[in-house]
Amino acid sequence: MKLFQDSITIFFKDLVLDLRSMENIFAMLFFSIIVIMVFSFALPADDKSHALLAPGVFWVTFLLAGILSLNKSFQIEKDNFCLESLLLSPISRGAIFLGKMGWNVCFILLIQILVIPVFSLLFYGPFLNNFFELLLLSFITAIGFSSLGTMLSALTVDVRFKEIILPILLFPLLVPLLLASVKITQVVLADGSLMDVADWFKLLIGFDIIFLVISYLTFEYVMEI
Amino acid sequence: MLYRVLRLLSIMMIGVMIGLIFLWAPSESSMGITQKIMYIHVPSIITTYLALTIAFICSIGYLWKKKEILDIIAFSAMELGAVFCGLALITGSIWGKPTWNTYWTWDARLTLTLVLFLIFCGYLLLRKFTDHGEQQARVCAIIAIIGTLDIPLIHLSVVWWRTLHQTSTILSTKKQAIDQPLLLMLIFSICTLFVFFTYLLSTRIKLEKQSREYAKQVANLY
Repeated sequence: MKLFQDSITIFFKDLVLDLRSMENIFAMLFFSIIVIMVFSFALPADDKSHALLAPGVFWVTFLLAGILSLNKSFQIEKDNFCLESLLLSPISRGAIFLGKMGWNVCFILLIQILVIPVFSLLFYGPFLNNFFELLLLSFITAIGFSSLGTMLSALTVDVRFKEIILPILLFPLLVPLLLASVKITQVVLADGSLMDVADWFKLLIGFDIIFLVISYLTFEYVMEI
Repeated sequence: MLYRVLRLLSIMMIGVMIGLIFLWAPSESSMGITQKIMYIHVPSIITTYLALTIAFICSIGYLWKKKEILDIIAFSAMELGAVFCGLALITGSIWGKPTWNTYWTWDARLTLTLVLFLIFCGYLLLRKFTDHGEQQARVCAIIAIIGTLDIPLIHLSVVWWRTLHQTSTILSTKKQAIDQPLLLMLIFSICTLFVFFTYLLSTRIKLEKQSREYAKQVANLY
């Protein structure tokens, strides 16, 4: 019960910080839109190519924007000895991890709610088709992404070239998760049956559970003063 | 003494292995002499898994006991794991060209082996970017533990996805997935590379211990 309450406290702390300034939300949103636009220009201009490559573009955008949210996750704690204060407070490491991870998931989902319509418009149309399916898929993927990402973000908070080393460590570990997400998205965008990709869903959910548990257990060792 | 024994044994076994590959082991019926690269490729990847397993166990041990020697063994194993993984990818590409008419394809097993190689490289880069000491050992131990999660994925990928890569032969439950002479040669090659890996690992551990001891003495001087 205390774990849950402490996690909620950390969650609301980050929520208030981000919603108060809104700069992170706008930065991530515009970055996502710019990435989608760059892909739109970089790929062949015909609708067929766009529709074919849409799943890959969607998830690359998700990945790049998600890294921004993870980078700031513990970076904000570096100022004014906030990290040390957080670690010295009567809150368990697990609660800190769950609170941070929970807000990262919600933050990514908030951005996806705004990005998915733009993506639909620019890439495959019709507008807002498959919106809820993509949002649900984003949610499931975000859990695994945020679990591992939050843990690695804390791990690299004091490392040189942190902005480079975090994606170098995170992206290879996320490849199986992204493979499953892209495969499911291909079926969703083609209006196929989700039963055809049941195995990929199992893989996705299995990875979420594995990464969540492992990250929670190892976070104790990540956050040592 | 141990290093000399291992070095001598490695040299002898590698010599015998090369001799057996070209003079005794029969050529496979469809691939011909190209198939013989399997005796380097398969043992390389199995040695990679061995290195990662050693690093995994020692990393867990380090987080539990905080003994420096465990960090040294884990680091040495990860370094050698990167080398053997790279060797497996290169020999696999060389084998792939005459067999599949391509050096590379985004087949599930190849992709995940490349991912494993990137995990090794990420570990070594993280090692480089953190200052020596307890923090370096701790963060690298966590990465080694997380990276080890990749091993079951690579093994299961052959079962989960339809793939260009040959299905499991050593652990296959099918009868005669591989002929007896080829299997014996493969097992001998695996044992040879295990002995060679043990020699390299022990030497690397010795070098790392000496390097850290020297660094401590230099630090004490100033």
